[in-house]
Amino acid sequence: MSKVSALARLEAMEAMAAVQLTEFRHRRLSDHPLVIVPLTMAGEAGAPLAAMVGSAKRSPKLLVVAQPRNRDQRFAFAAELGGIVMDYIDHCRRDRRAGSSRGKGVASFYTDAPQVLVPNPGGVKALADLGRTCRFRKTTGSYPVADIVPRLGMWLTFLVESAEQAGTSMLLPVTGMLGEHWATGQSVLEDQNLASLMAWIAPPDGLDVAQAMADAENPDVCPPAGPATAPSFDKYYLEPAIKRFATADPLAAAAAEAELRELIADQLKPTWRLMWQAISLLRGVPEAPRAAARFERDRASFTAYSDYQDAGGLPQRKQDAPIGAARRLSRLERALADFEADMAFDDPYVLADRRSVGEAFAGTVVAAEPGRIVTTDKNRRVPRPLVTVRTQDPTRLAAGTKLISPSMPASHRALIVSTIPDEDTSLVTVEIVGGMGQGLVPKPGSVPAQGQQVAYLPDPGWRPVPVFPDNDRVPWTHAAAADDTDEFHEAATEEWGNDD
Amino acid sequence: MKAAVDARLDVLRGSALRLTYSARSLAALENNPRCTLRAVLDASGSNKTDIAKHAGYELPFGQSPFAIARGNSFEAMVKANGCAELLRVLREILQLSLPEVGYQDLNDVGGDGRSEIRHARTRQLLVRAARGLGDGTLFDHPMLLLRVGGHAAFLEPDLVAFRVGDRFHVVEIKSFPIIDGRADPAQVRAATTQACAYIIALRAMLAEAGIGPEAVSETIVLVAPRDFTNRPAAAFVDARKQVATLTRQLARIERIGDLLDLLPDGLTFAIADEAGLPRPAGELVEALDQVPATYRPDCLNHCEMAFYCRARARDGGSLDVLGPVVREQLGGIDTVTMALGLARGKLRPNDEQVEIAASLRHAARLRAELRSTAGTPGAAA
Repeated sequence: MSKVSALARLEAMEAMAAVQLTEFRHRRLSDHPLVIVPLTMAGEAGAPLAAMVGSAKRSPKLLVVAQPRNRDQRFAFAAELGGIVMDYIDHCRRDRRAGSSRGKGVASFYTDAPQVLVPNPGGVKALADLGRTCRFRKTTGSYPVADIVPRLGMWLTFLVESAEQAGTSMLLPVTGMLGEHWATGQSVLEDQNLASLMAWIAPPDGLDVAQAMADAENPDVCPPAGPATAPSFDKYYLEPAIKRFATADPLAAAAAEAELRELIADQLKPTWRLMWQAISLLRGVPEAPRAAARFERDRASFTAYSDYQDAGGLPQRKQDAPIGAARRLSRLERALADFEADMAFDDPYVLADRRSVGEAFAGTVVAAEPGRIVTTDKNRRVPRPLVTVRTQDPTRLAAGTKLISPSMPASHRALIVSTIPDEDTSLVTVEIVGGMGQGLVPKPGSVPAQGQQVAYLPDPGWRPVPVFPDNDRVPWTHAAAADDTDEFHEAATEEWGNDD
Repeated sequence: MKAAVDARLDVLRGSALRLTYSARSLAALENNPRCTLRAVLDASGSNKTDIAKHAGYELPFGQSPFAIARGNSFEAMVKANGCAELLRVLREILQLSLPEVGYQDLNDVGGDGRSEIRHARTRQLLVRAARGLGDGTLFDHPMLLLRVGGHAAFLEPDLVAFRVGDRFHVVEIKSFPIIDGRADPAQVRAATTQACAYIIALRAMLAEAGIGPEAVSETIVLVAPRDFTNRPAAAFVDARKQVATLTRQLARIERIGDLLDLLPDGLTFAIADEAGLPRPAGELVEALDQVPATYRPDCLNHCEMAFYCRARARDGGSLDVLGPVVREQLGGIDTVTMALGLARGKLRPNDEQVEIAASLRHAARLRAELRSTAGTPGAAA
């Protein structure tokens, strides 16, 4: 967090209302996201209790595991959820077109990519657990599951892994999306409670923020958005209802199940409504220009994974092998750097954040040497104009840092030559090195003129895809001690464990 | 001196029953050690749940019956048939050589479940074992005793295993899963801290018999469900650092008198008067207000007083409300009024605030610039 964002939180606290933190919504918001509100049973990981699922506010589908400790019912739930998720994924795979010719690999992309929205980071974790329980399951032998169960497991794992990568939009917690755009006067921890966060942004009619916040933390008024249910709900309502269902004779079982479903539906409905309210609020925020390019990358990775699955791909490993881990880390770091630069480039608010900590600067051009020409090592004469910017920002960028500028054409590139403090301002001299065209005279508009306002931030740059050794040539320092080829077999024969 | 402190603590608690420390509340000491309110309430054995509720700040805490049932059934399964599953895990997964197994059930002594009796029996058996006598290797639910601030607190580890490398090992049986070799770090930490209380109590007990601290290992054995099954997995957890931390926290409790000296005379958190009539909530809040509290948002996860402290921080416009992420950006500033005053140039910074004030003013200028251009099309171009 920077001082600008901290200040926004202070303003929110003073005004008792959420304040804007960005100009844009940096995440793509699909026209038809799949909303999943998962609930799990306390005390046991990967024990789903229920989920409310759907792509439209009006038609939620309620899935309930009437006896969460029964693993047959758990996988029946997974199969039912799998049906919905796979329908949705197939919906995104209806149309495929040739992509840009650049690069190798996927030659054509699906024109759409899935977007699953859950209420909070805990929802992502619940899907991760469900994905892990399902993806190694076998469809034959002892304890077989429906075909769709391992497929759901693999797709959920794919979505969860994509969510770890900055800038993707295939699985997102709504609290995160809201928190990127609005600052509240409460802590980051409390912002993970969807109802609390919404209390700041759009309190219910007739309530002020303080009252709405108090309601948001009262499980009787606002049931938690999951995945955990309120302990008091478990104790006074859920446990007796499950017991009634479990002990009901066949004639009464249907009534007991209906009662249980209704009970759980009442817990889920308020969150369901909040989810769609949040989505419509987010639709009201303009999407950042560069979100489109990130969506294209989502589509590429969605297409690649879909093809891998269609070719009978294996479930994702439990733990990365050394090379895979290195690859993943490199990809995640890269994505984070790119996403941060994208946001700062698009969004003056984010740029201000970076400026306040000296990672970017903006100011007025006070001196320019537009006609400067230098001779390169290769004996070529090239334009290298010098421009001096006076800024009040506390710049900390070292000489030689490569820069991009949101206030100049996209191909504009510059290097920091020197930074000289001048009373409470700094004079930053930069050398323009790119985006001026081929000739000796820079194209018009490619060099900032005296008196012009410009902003610069570091260029995350182009980096070659790092080369890692093959999987069978892992250096001994990183070689795994044990061979885990039987991992798949072992996990699939996991005890069913209905013994409690 | 000690008596004076105790009398003082009794006054603070009022007529309510004294709560003793449990492993859980001792482990909680680690969470927010600087909080005076918490220290004073705990040391006086006050019931924080009742106090918060009476003051009008009840926190919907508690454990789900499903979690409790799962915890109990997992522990029962691990210990069934003389700890057969547990031994399998200790031998196979941790590759421990437990040549002979002598299982000792200390849940009661000949049907007598009183803590004192169980503690006496525990001491007898464990001291014998430490001296190489007897055939005990697994001690189920021994009863340990730790003196905290001069008061006895009985602690009951799930299990103590002996002769894992000839040292006692505390075994914690927990029902959160170890999935693919990984468990939730927060839960592992809480389990480890709880086990630290047992290590310290075990050492204290052996020390009385002249046995040195090296007889108790600072590595605990965590036993938890493997992946999504009901079968156990086990792992060693190094608890050295937390043993040291908890030892330090316990030493602080001994010095509770220093904290009490700073509080006004006659202060009490009683929720009823001597006649048993409820005390006006406003009066209780006033009493609580007298004691410094260190609120942090994560108190909401573990302290019964959190709603009260948060309301107090909000009323005072304290930056504590926003949490450490914001606080660390605003070092040396405590309140919203001051931070915004400095940012808007309406307050003069003191010598230590000059630097932070300058960067706040800069941030405020940036935000003002944004607001003036917000909404204009192409503002981002």
